[in-house]
Amino acid sequence: MAFYDRLLELCGFEGDDIEQQRPRMEQVFTTIHIGPDDMPRVEERVRRQHDLSLTGVRRLLRAWLLELADLVLARDEGKRIVYYGYPSIQGPGMAIKAALGEHSYVGCPDVVLCHSVGLIFDALTPILETAENRGLPAGHGLCSLQQVRNGALARGIIPVPDLVVGSSYYCDMGSKADELLHEIYGHPAVYIDGSMDSRWGEFPGYDPERITLMGTQLGKLFSTVEDVLGVRVTRDCMRETMATNRALFSGLGRLTFQMMADPVPISAVVSGMALNLAAASTGRFMREGPETLEILCSEVQERVDAGVGIVEKGAPRVLNFAVSFSDPEITHMMERAGLALAASFVTVPPAKRDPSLSFETLGEELAEAAMRSGAYHSTYGFAKRFAQAARALQMDGVIWGYQYNCRPQALGSHLFKQVIEEEAGVPTLSLEMDIYESRSYSAEALKTRVEAFAEMLRARKVLNQGGR
Amino acid sequence: MEELQRLSSHLENRLSDLAAARGNGTRIVGYTPGGYLPEELVLAAGAVPVCMIQAGERTAVESSEPYICRWIDPFCRAQIGLATSGRDPYYSALDLLVVPITDNHIRAIADVVDYNTDLEVFPFGVPHMKEPSTFQYYLHGLVRLKERIEALTGTKITDEGLKESIRLCNRERELFRTLSTLRQSPGEAISGSSFIALNHASSVSDKRFMVQLLESVAHTVMSQPRRQDNAPRILLTGSTLAMGDTLPNLIEDSGGAVVIEEFAEGIRPYWQDVSLEGDPLHALAEAYFMDRVAPAWFRPGTERQNFLIRLARGWHVDGVIWYQLLFRESYKTESYYFPDRLQRQTGRSMLVVESDYDQSEAGQMKTRIETFLHIITGGTD
Ligand code: SF4
Ligand code: SF4
Repeated sequence: MAFYDRLLELCGFEGDDIEQQRPRMEQVFTTIHIGPDDMPRVEERVRRQHDLSLTGVRRLLRAWLLELADLVLARDEGKRIVYYGYPSIQGPGMAIKAALGEHSYVGCPDVVLCHSVGLIFDALTPILETAENRGLPAGHGLCSLQQVRNGALARGIIPVPDLVVGSSYYCDMGSKADELLHEIYGHPAVYIDGSMDSRWGEFPGYDPERITLMGTQLGKLFSTVEDVLGVRVTRDCMRETMATNRALFSGLGRLTFQMMADPVPISAVVSGMALNLAAASTGRFMREGPETLEILCSEVQERVDAGVGIVEKGAPRVLNFAVSFSDPEITHMMERAGLALAASFVTVPPAKRDPSLSFETLGEELAEAAMRSGAYHSTYGFAKRFAQAARALQMDGVIWGYQYNCRPQALGSHLFKQVIEEEAGVPTLSLEMDIYESRSYSAEALKTRVEAFAEMLRARKVLNQGGR
Repeated sequence: MEELQRLSSHLENRLSDLAAARGNGTRIVGYTPGGYLPEELVLAAGAVPVCMIQAGERTAVESSEPYICRWIDPFCRAQIGLATSGRDPYYSALDLLVVPITDNHIRAIADVVDYNTDLEVFPFGVPHMKEPSTFQYYLHGLVRLKERIEALTGTKITDEGLKESIRLCNRERELFRTLSTLRQSPGEAISGSSFIALNHASSVSDKRFMVQLLESVAHTVMSQPRRQDNAPRILLTGSTLAMGDTLPNLIEDSGGAVVIEEFAEGIRPYWQDVSLEGDPLHALAEAYFMDRVAPAWFRPGTERQNFLIRLARGWHVDGVIWYQLLFRESYKTESYYFPDRLQRQTGRSMLVVESDYDQSEAGQMKTRIETFLHIITGGTD
């Protein structure tokens, strides 16, 4: 029995499974510098922060560990490697993966590291410190997700990719950080450019030129993939992927819906792990996703049916922008404050495509979907969708936990609160956070503001009920 | 220089001149710096372009606090502070604020000012790569802007009118080029702080006045003997050099000579003229988007880095001072690996000075600059 066997068992690995993965896991633990001495701490952390009574939760942890292994070992296992940025518009990553086939790794390495090395092992600090000495110093509000990518490459934890895809249409940091890595490692980078220049109040409308530009840029991505990796990404690839993934997305949809039960049945830590697996992984999400979600959803349904929850029935229901990727303690702190984190940004899907629209290219099709999502449309579009969701779901409050070192979010630090309160009349807490690493924004540091907000929402609920 | 006195009295009266013009129905079009708004479009409609370039002191930054968090670059926070205060005379003089969206810090100005004030904001996109599709997008933005300005002023912008304003602006660019080129040879033709003052003034003053003034400055500079000195020659670069920034004076007071500048915002790009051939709008887009050396928020930033190397060589500089505004990530990231390249290709060193427009920074900044100047002129510590 190896030092990590018990941890793997906690994380949903079983008998044969452990034996099969042993050679890979050996290598992973060596690479991320986790040894026998760390195990008591890590096991205690996993037990404390995750509801291991649910098989679905253990399976999710397993999927993230396997994704970590796929990432760390991708080069050794002879795979072709493509990294993309987070957040990114849904689709291109999966389409590239479909075109490249099984023998490839396509994903967001930083998000994977946050959910594994961070969330499970609490071992991001050395990676971050490395990045701080490699061009992304502390104290300058530089994206911590990019620090994770930078530091992990420098420490040889993740391999140098064959191609990097930058979400240049959204933030400046991701592309610049990729440029910095290109200076150091020389791998090719392709930037999907764009411009978020819609007028305030224009959403859901937009200038059709935005679709033309982004469509062309996505076309450039696909032709770069063809040049660099020798495979063609076609509309059929995309359709096929979407068809195979239908079950997965309906599983996610079901889980999202279950979170709306009163009392809220599980911690938002769990739904966050599931949703981000879909956003950051094109491998394990597709392979482990369907069964994991199936198991999880039926366990959750039992709780819903039995009226069992993690906060008391009638607790203030909150639309929470994002859960921490690496530190479940923050989410648990919100829940301990008595808030039901019932909804997130994905709970209310974007409007359906206008059937009269038709597009010539796959790129334009994806670009149009990105416009409807709001987030890539404009600050107004993003805030407006929040306001609409908060109203439609009859939320008691919204936590706009913006990533302080992510400019597209930070520029809306006050605007989101203003728009949501004005348009939906729902109290909103604008909470400065770091969802990628929590050295400066720990649960302890955020607690006072969250508790005060929870208190206010409870008082407001009582008042409203009294009024009825 | 007598011209600088004339300039300062023009600037002193500028606000009342603008108010008078506005009273007579002339429209005032403000815009954020960055070099992506062709003033020609505004001028051709008979309106007055005014660049929102004032910043550098703390109060404006602090005024932005009720509207935005601190993680946005201080220049952009200062603009938000000024615009939302309702008391800034320049913002109060505007009929329209045009914001070419270059990066997310500038986008913050557009969004926050639009939501929190009555000022009409017109954003239009500046993509971050030079490709046919991005060029078309920028050109499309200019077409939209032209329509908006025509509607605002009630004046049709004709090709002829546009060409006339292109000629005027080309002349201004040519004069700045002349002055800058004079600074290539040893000895001081015009001090860095004077050049910067002229360039800054050109973003708020009357265009015809400015061109005449620059002609007179060029004449004076060419006819007078150069001041010979051994001051270390400095290339000053960075994201933003605002009107109100004290750094150029700090360098000069420390014994350095700023002989050339390269900034994304605050130094009007003047190296490229706009062609008078063909469709003028297309020509504007070619010059302002394709020909202009792109700032660090282009991906990758190689073009500008190559340009800096050319400037360092061509202007025989002894060192580079990189003026970093806090939280402007594109510049911060480049400032990590550019010094190596600079050293390899020119043998010159670079000093990064950072600012959050906090007056308490000046003392430490001066010490660091003095030490740097000492080292690049052969000192040892
Ligand atoms: S700055 Fe924001 S959008 Fe950009 S890479 Fe970081 S988290 Fe993603
Ligand atoms: S001529 Fe103008 S529009 Fe045509 S490709 Fe060149 S830049 Fe683009």
